[in-house]
Amino acid sequence: MSAATLPNLVDELRGVVGFDGVLAAHADLVVYECDGFVIEKNCPDVVVFPRTSQQVADIVRLANKHGVPFVPRGAGTSLAGGCLPVGGGVMIVLTRMKAIEEINLRDRYAIVQPGVVNAWLNQALKGTGYHYAPDPSSQGACTIGGNVATNSGGPHTLKYGVTVNHVLGVEAVLPDGRIVQVGGPTEDSAGLDLVGAIVGSEGTLAIVTKAWVRLTRDPEGCRTMLGVYDSVDDASNTISEIIGAGIIPAALEMMDQGILVAVEQAFNFGFPLDAQAILLIEVDGVEAGLDAQRDRIIELCKKCGAREVRQAKDAAERLLLWKCRKQAFGAVGRLSPSYCTQDGVVPRTKLPHISRRIREIGEKYSVRIVNVFHAGDGNIHPILLFDERDPEQIMRVLAASTEILDECINCGGSVTGEHGIGVEKIGFMHKMFTIEDIDAMERLRMAFNPDGRLSPCKMLPTAGACGMEQNGKPHEKAIVQIRPGRRAAL
Amino acid sequence: MIALTELLPLSDTLTPADQAELTQIVREAYVDATPIYPIGGGTSLDFGLAPRDAGLGLAMRGLKRVIDYPARDMTITVEAGITIDALAASLAKERQWLPIDLPNAHQATLGGVIATNTYGARRYGNGTMRDYVIGIAAVDGRGSMFHGGGRVVKNVAGYDFCKLLTGSLGTLGVITQVTLKVKPRPECSRFVACRVRNLQAADRLLESMVTTRTMPAAVELLIGPAWQNDAALGQLPAGEIGVVVVGFEGTEPEVAWMVSTLFNQWHRLGGNPVAVPDDQTEGLWTRLAQFPVEGSAALVIKASLRPSRTQNFIAGILQIDPSCDIQSHAGNGNVIARLSQFGSGGISNLLVGALQPAAVEHDGKVIVLSYNQPSELTRQAVWGSTGDAGSIMEEIKRRFDPKNLLNRGRFAYAG
Repeated sequence: MSAATLPNLVDELRGVVGFDGVLAAHADLVVYECDGFVIEKNCPDVVVFPRTSQQVADIVRLANKHGVPFVPRGAGTSLAGGCLPVGGGVMIVLTRMKAIEEINLRDRYAIVQPGVVNAWLNQALKGTGYHYAPDPSSQGACTIGGNVATNSGGPHTLKYGVTVNHVLGVEAVLPDGRIVQVGGPTEDSAGLDLVGAIVGSEGTLAIVTKAWVRLTRDPEGCRTMLGVYDSVDDASNTISEIIGAGIIPAALEMMDQGILVAVEQAFNFGFPLDAQAILLIEVDGVEAGLDAQRDRIIELCKKCGAREVRQAKDAAERLLLWKCRKQAFGAVGRLSPSYCTQDGVVPRTKLPHISRRIREIGEKYSVRIVNVFHAGDGNIHPILLFDERDPEQIMRVLAASTEILDECINCGGSVTGEHGIGVEKIGFMHKMFTIEDIDAMERLRMAFNPDGRLSPCKMLPTAGACGMEQNGKPHEKAIVQIRPGRRAAL
Repeated sequence: MIALTELLPLSDTLTPADQAELTQIVREAYVDATPIYPIGGGTSLDFGLAPRDAGLGLAMRGLKRVIDYPARDMTITVEAGITIDALAASLAKERQWLPIDLPNAHQATLGGVIATNTYGARRYGNGTMRDYVIGIAAVDGRGSMFHGGGRVVKNVAGYDFCKLLTGSLGTLGVITQVTLKVKPRPECSRFVACRVRNLQAADRLLESMVTTRTMPAAVELLIGPAWQNDAALGQLPAGEIGVVVVGFEGTEPEVAWMVSTLFNQWHRLGGNPVAVPDDQTEGLWTRLAQFPVEGSAALVIKASLRPSRTQNFIAGILQIDPSCDIQSHAGNGNVIARLSQFGSGGISNLLVGALQPAAVEHDGKVIVLSYNQPSELTRQAVWGSTGDAGSIMEEIKRRFDPKNLLNRGRFAYAG
């Protein structure tokens, strides 16, 4: 953005949201230079905090008027650079839109603003017999607007599905500043399923300003088990056996020894530190069927070589077990100064294969890799440990990550199960999709976002960034930031 | 079902043997600007507006192969022309299924049910096609094949064409290949039914489902002559308006517990529930799935409302046609009604002037599933309003089908 434009824009934005709703000093902007993907960074030119949908629309109109890019952001917990402000411009932070507008149990929905933290909704629902099912591991911090943008999953995806399965409708600001509602409190949209298109579009089609989300009846009970294994293969085979037996657990999570040690140091759960892998298995539903399912699962674990199968003895132990799992990434801080979490997906039956390949790739690049998987749905999260102060290490981590994700594609899988393409994985899109597929995606994007000013240079390798052109030439900042090879790494 | 020739103005019908041949046909049609009407099993050709321009029928029955079925991954990749029965037969070998009720399963194709977003009673427990399509391939209006999703159950790479194409009536692309996630077949299935004297009584039972500890697969309200002497539900005596039916599926102990729990719950509310005999269970599921297409009603509509408002809407329909047949997926707020009387003023007038405003009052909408005089219907009557997002839908259509060849004029787009 030109030095002449910025002061005018900042003044006009203050006119929309008030003086305290705009940040423009460099020291303030640095906080917003990246999300959980820390390898590429870029400061927005201005950060603005709207409180209403109309304010979001007004901000978008101002950004268009000045010809600058704009990007929405929730809590910034995403891991693929989805809210990196490529090309600078206006960052629209939605965390002040945090009202739960309605909870309707009879009709099984809630209306939430985008800045509502995922866990807040379930706190509000406590005691009603209902919950909001999508539960990303970052649910204590991430916002529902961000979940909608990335179509987040979580440990309970296996049985309950990802965010899109729980979104009935959205109100959104289009890139031209119009406010539209698609879907709503009833279950079928009129015409095309634009809710399905917008959810998971990583903020490239529209800015979600309100969501109607489905509420799910609490299960009457659950059984939570912990299978302890001397080999990752045995744990992986157990997953296939359980699913093959026709049991769909509510969650089926795997941690390997590397991460187990970190988690144990952090939480003192009592995990056996010599185990090569543990499986966290939970079944839920009506009480009447649960003991039988639990017994069958224990039998299958043992058949596949589990050396022991523990059960959470009470609600407190179950909660601690889940805390260990959900905060596993945080515990990794004990292992190295920096880490890079990958988000590949393979068909469940390929888990033993991909586990072996991850080990081999780690050895090949001399990178220590620990693993925590949403194993039930084949979503792997190898965590590559490194020190970001050492550029050489970073290059090895990037090379190892690429090889792991390539292997996921070779297995018939995907390079992202829940964190999105963002800027991080644009280079993989041509490996997963044909030119025609990407062209079709580009056409969908252009139908919503023809000028390319909303979230430019995200998700699609060809993603037009018209809003970032200056005198017909691409904006210099955009090109520097998006170049494969990572500025921080070099 | 109305004959094909009465529904589509076809100059010719081609039956491609594979995706490559299909793509070539669409490319040639694009050059010649020939409208294309994809035909699956031909079971839903009366859904949507009647086309007015002559065009090419594209019969999908040649594309019916199972491409890959890794049963342990609980996914299956098939061509879109496979019939629902053939798909079910493949899955049954591994004790798996696609848990969505679909009418005319022996004839309806997978591509067709995705394009029309057809679903049935099990929606309450299992969702719709939207929740099961994880990968899709289609040929757009220019003859370009594109894919979305993939073969893994969790995948957020790229835009979700699976969702966008589901319910698009083939207007953005001819669906050629699909990957589904599937589920294990439940061990056991049972129904609890309770007759009700009026809609208020039905509402009391349905409202109690909000707090039930059971996990139903289906929550239905059935009204009208079609249900008055059902083999599973028995004779409905005069003075009773209909029957609330709840279906359970799962393991034997789960289902037994849920049946007895709901039984007691409804007894406490003053109802007189009955368990449907086991030997009648499968037949009732089939009749629930077949309902919208059975018989010869003049008009079949589907409303989507807030569940708490379904009874008000049904009361309005019964005033228009007291002898209509109704199946309400009441737990989801859907009402399917088969009407034969609709007063004077024309059918479009009834829909636009009465039923659609009534649905809007309950935050919902009404669409027409079929009408025996399709040429009389307007776009507004069949699809209602697409709201303030209509212009985006039209822009997407233009970018996927620039010459407006795919099912021209049949869907919800204006113009």
